[in-house]
Amino acid sequence: MSSDIKKKFSEKLSENIMDKMSIDFLRTQVLKNAYGNKDTVIAGLDPRILLVWYLFFGLIPWFSHDIIFLLGCFILVTITTMLARVAGLVLLLFVLGVFSQTGYLLIVILLFGGDASAFLPLLTLSLKISTVSLASITVFSGLDPDQLANGLMWFGFPERLSFSISYAYRILPVLLQEFQNILLSYRMRGNPPSRKTFAGNLKYLIYQVKVIMHAFYPLMLNTAKRSRTTVEALELKGYRYAAVNKEVKKIRLSALRLTNNDLLFPALSFMWVAVTLLISSLL
Amino acid sequence: MNIVEIENLTYSYPAASEPTLKNISLQIPQGDFLAVVGNNGCGKSTLCKVLNGLIPHFITGSFSGSVKVGGLDTVHTDVGTLARKVGYVYQDFENQIVRPTVLDDASYACLNYAIPDYAARGLEALSLCGLQEKKSDYIWQLSGGQTHLLALAGAVALRPDILILDEPIAQLDPRHADHIYEILRELNEKHGKTIIVIEHHTDYIANYCKNVLLLKDGSFAWQLPTQEALQRVEELQACNIFPPQITLAAYRMKQAGLLSPHAPLPTTIETGKKIFDKLAYAGTQTRPQAESSDEEDIIARFHSVFASYKTIHGKDGHIFEGLDLEIKRGDKIAVIGSNGAGKTTLMKLMIGLMKPSWGNITIFGGNIRRQKGTNGAKQEAFSEDSSQTIFPDKVAVPYWSPEELSRMISLVYQNPEEMFIQDSIQADIAYAMKMRGVADYENRTAELLERFRLTELKERDGRLLSGGQMRRASLAIGIALHPEILLLDEPTANLDIATRKEIMRTLNDIKHITKTVIIATHDMQLVCEWAQRIVVLCRGKVIADGTRDEIFGNAAVIAQAGIRPPEIFSMGRALHQRALCYTVDEFLENFAEVQNEQ
Repeated sequence: MSSDIKKKFSEKLSENIMDKMSIDFLRTQVLKNAYGNKDTVIAGLDPRILLVWYLFFGLIPWFSHDIIFLLGCFILVTITTMLARVAGLVLLLFVLGVFSQTGYLLIVILLFGGDASAFLPLLTLSLKISTVSLASITVFSGLDPDQLANGLMWFGFPERLSFSISYAYRILPVLLQEFQNILLSYRMRGNPPSRKTFAGNLKYLIYQVKVIMHAFYPLMLNTAKRSRTTVEALELKGYRYAAVNKEVKKIRLSALRLTNNDLLFPALSFMWVAVTLLISSLL
Repeated sequence: MNIVEIENLTYSYPAASEPTLKNISLQIPQGDFLAVVGNNGCGKSTLCKVLNGLIPHFITGSFSGSVKVGGLDTVHTDVGTLARKVGYVYQDFENQIVRPTVLDDASYACLNYAIPDYAARGLEALSLCGLQEKKSDYIWQLSGGQTHLLALAGAVALRPDILILDEPIAQLDPRHADHIYEILRELNEKHGKTIIVIEHHTDYIANYCKNVLLLKDGSFAWQLPTQEALQRVEELQACNIFPPQITLAAYRMKQAGLLSPHAPLPTTIETGKKIFDKLAYAGTQTRPQAESSDEEDIIARFHSVFASYKTIHGKDGHIFEGLDLEIKRGDKIAVIGSNGAGKTTLMKLMIGLMKPSWGNITIFGGNIRRQKGTNGAKQEAFSEDSSQTIFPDKVAVPYWSPEELSRMISLVYQNPEEMFIQDSIQADIAYAMKMRGVADYENRTAELLERFRLTELKERDGRLLSGGQMRRASLAIGIALHPEILLLDEPTANLDIATRKEIMRTLNDIKHITKTVIIATHDMQLVCEWAQRIVVLCRGKVIADGTRDEIFGNAAVIAQAGIRPPEIFSMGRALHQRALCYTVDEFLENFAEVQNEQ
């Protein structure tokens, strides 16, 4: 029975990885990440407030060694990340990232009988990295790109940056689609190594990586071809005029408005931080 | 009043040895609906870019003469000012959409020009283009036709006096094409816009445009009212422009003496009825369509297939809902249906790029999906001896991975650029044969280059070829491995009619190389001249499957699927309700005699 379950599980896993790590999956995840969470609490907040909030949680943890304070921040940003309904892929990348930075060291220490003196500093570092990362994820992935762009523009970042952010999201699905088709061309016409043996599987993996690298060349050329029209269209749509026109910036930013939620969010965060600091000083 | 006045315009692109536009002088009156025609590379698009100031402000080169648009000299006016007078919709319109949501894109230009009510302007443009329902959609949720309308809305939002559209209907099915032209007509008639279209489809010119401008190799040939322009059958054909089939039929009847030499040639079905009403339907049955496949060998089978795609909100969009289809060896199938009916999905399923969410697809006896509870490799081992005892109720079929499928099936994409993965078409054609160790691949490549008339161009990068050449190269790549089944996605899309005819010839040419061919297409002339079997997709199912007589003779199917037979077929039908003629030749055979007056 258990072997049956195991077998099913391993099949499911291998099928899932093969099926899901396709470009289609990547594309949906990217879009989901950018636009799939418009109705969340985080997405509804004013981008300016969130950016200020981010400035705090992205910087302060680096300068603190107080475990309780860090833990408190970590819990808070975990909650905001959950509120932002971040796409699965981003979370996976986050976990992998933290693990590859410090997480694996923690495990090594535990395995080889290290004591608290080695354990604590590593935990502190892991907490710092996780907190800062989750705060970034909340802001950059919880807000939709246009909101984010507007927020940045309000703080005086150049218009080109904010345009680039939105345009990247506009063009990314198109590029991924095209990339998928080019990869398909390789697959239909290439001759991948057989995957019957373990060595074959390894060769297959190397082959795949090579193909992905080769596929960038046609992708770039095709992109260059299609951007000819885009550049002309941008010129016609007055993109260059807007970049130097203060009026445009004013009109664009007039959509930003503070609501009660926008005040409540930093207030609650502040209170939470105060409470953790209090607990930490009492202990 | 003339809204455009061009005098002695000569223009050459930077580093070009010869001018693209040669000494052009013309006027376009306000409120015109003008079709610009001419063969490939005769400077149609260049002329249009002169009107909106991209030339000479954005694209330099040597420019002489004067161009006045709405009284403004384009040389002394900046692109921004001109862009608000002249709206432009590109042929590759999807690349001119730069914002992620519909309303955002429609109002983007207005915002950039600091128009305070930019959102209202965008909304107004959307409603003019019939997109108001879609205003908060993301652009990747739109169909091809809707994307085109959005590109138009983006231009309309600036309230320009002139709208220029470069081949607006090249990628659209007839229903969407009609929709675009109806909108253009309304913009022209109700809102007084001057419309300029670069158009190859003379049947649309006949039905919608007021005037026609012919460019010949960069020079102005003539500018005439549509009726008059389309009478010049020989001159148009010399420029690779094919007059409406009805006009062509009447022209040939005139030559045969069936019609009076002084009668004007009809251009639409309405005028055709009057001219042709004296002709009797001979009723000689149309020659049987090319012999149908005599083999009964079923090589691919779709059994109640469901397929869907993921949306970002987790809900699935359904494409197929219980699709059944059998494909026999030797079939020449055309798959038709409106945009979004699932033609491309059908092909993606066959090459294993997409998996059905439910149902079975077997190809050459193998399944394209691993079956539950078994592992593909093991299954093969089982099937040799013990499968019957272990799975008594299940006949084990091998599993084909996409790699294995690619050895049997070849797909030629709608967009040939995505097939060019090497730096010359010679290398591209050779690639698959080389990788798979075909012995004399060099000779075969040379043969293919010769057959597709690409030998001269073999060193060029595929992307830099013209539309027709790219398409030929992609076909050569597709058949290089002698696939058992060849899938072609819209092989004639975006081509002018002359190039389309050439591709059709090529397709007929390769009929004996690849036995089983499936084409997904909107091009009904291609369907009628090439296909032996027509499969109509609609709402996730096959709603009709048969010969062209069975499909086009069935008015209910045509209406349901939103397809349209070639115009000459409708003309025949309008004259006689049992007439089935798909080509001008067949029309001439069937209506060869003058009715006896009784």
